[in-house]
Amino acid sequence: MSDPNKNRTTSGGLPEQERDPGSDAQLSVLAGGIAHDLNTVITTIYGYCELVLDILGESNPEASEQTRRIIAAADRASTLTGQLLSLSHRAAQEKVAVRVADVIADTIDFIRPSVSSGIRIFRVLNAPDATVMAVPAQLFRIFLNLFLNASQAIGDGDGTITVTLDLPENKNDTYLDQNPDSLLVTVRDTGKGMDAETAGKIFDPWFTSGRKNGTGLGLTVVSDAVRELGGTIRVDSEPDKGTTFSLLIPYTSFGSLPEKS
Amino acid sequence: MAGIMIVEDDTALREMLRDALEKRKHTVITAADGREALARFRPSVVDLVITDLLMPEEDGLMVIMKIKEMKPSAKLIAISGGGMAGPGSYLMMASKLGADHVFSKPFLPSELVQKVKDLLG
Repeated sequence: MSDPNKNRTTSGGLPEQERDPGSDAQLSVLAGGIAHDLNTVITTIYGYCELVLDILGESNPEASEQTRRIIAAADRASTLTGQLLSLSHRAAQEKVAVRVADVIADTIDFIRPSVSSGIRIFRVLNAPDATVMAVPAQLFRIFLNLFLNASQAIGDGDGTITVTLDLPENKNDTYLDQNPDSLLVTVRDTGKGMDAETAGKIFDPWFTSGRKNGTGLGLTVVSDAVRELGGTIRVDSEPDKGTTFSLLIPYTSFGSLPEKS
Repeated sequence: MAGIMIVEDDTALREMLRDALEKRKHTVITAADGREALARFRPSVVDLVITDLLMPEEDGLMVIMKIKEMKPSAKLIAISGGGMAGPGSYLMMASKLGADHVFSKPFLPSELVQKVKDLLG
């Protein structure tokens, strides 16, 4: 992980005055527009599901149950658009102690149906009970975007996505050693990787690295959300050798360790 | 049953609402924006208007004001997904302009269908 030949960019630790307020405003407007359009789509999904349930009546319980699961997924999407609008409106949100492993599990369950069948997702939970102070949907948004990014990097072929929860200690890495009070979360994929120039822009708004899908906002949203948690994010990547995102987030409890004040 | 106009620029949502309301035997007229809605509105045919608020051409707030002028007894439902100012502020304006009920997207269309029934008595 400390290989100096790898392409590396760190985000999330910039002082506020180094950020471009113009970009923040543009992002805010864009987020509101995306949320508006998605809310319209979600309403359509709700409506057709209800019509299908009406038609099915009690004739096909299995189909009815699966239709209700579509509604449940739309409920989750509705939560995400709510988060987007919150981002847009800068609404104040209360943070709570969140068990990170639970959010990772929820996110994996959520994206699995949309991930190529050749992609396997692994969890290495060396800190399964660790908690951080966060808005749960905010953490969900972070992992959702990281997993989707990893999935897109692998594409339709075979590959793996590995998410780990750990302490940043004893990793022989200056960046990690400087954050002993943080939880280390890594998301590693075996996708196509990036060169130095691409890695340097990966957190910029609207940067898509030439992919056909995606708005180019996902990793910007991640970067902003990590910073709101008081954390930082780093990307390590090499062409054809995959990419690893390393998140350092201050933790409130590490399970077996004494809780911090 | 009643005559209902749906004003919504999203084709999929517009057609879904049409399906849901025609299933309840209503006569449905649709428009893709405010200008088309005002051109197609006939006081003798339309009893209730469901309008989106953020649309190209004439927006939903203008639709509400004009419909109220053309047919004061017409019932009005405003729907909105927000945008930069958030759904609350637009919907609040819609209420002040005379909307009988507002829905913030996403909503359950079955609730809208029930509200249509309530408003039409």
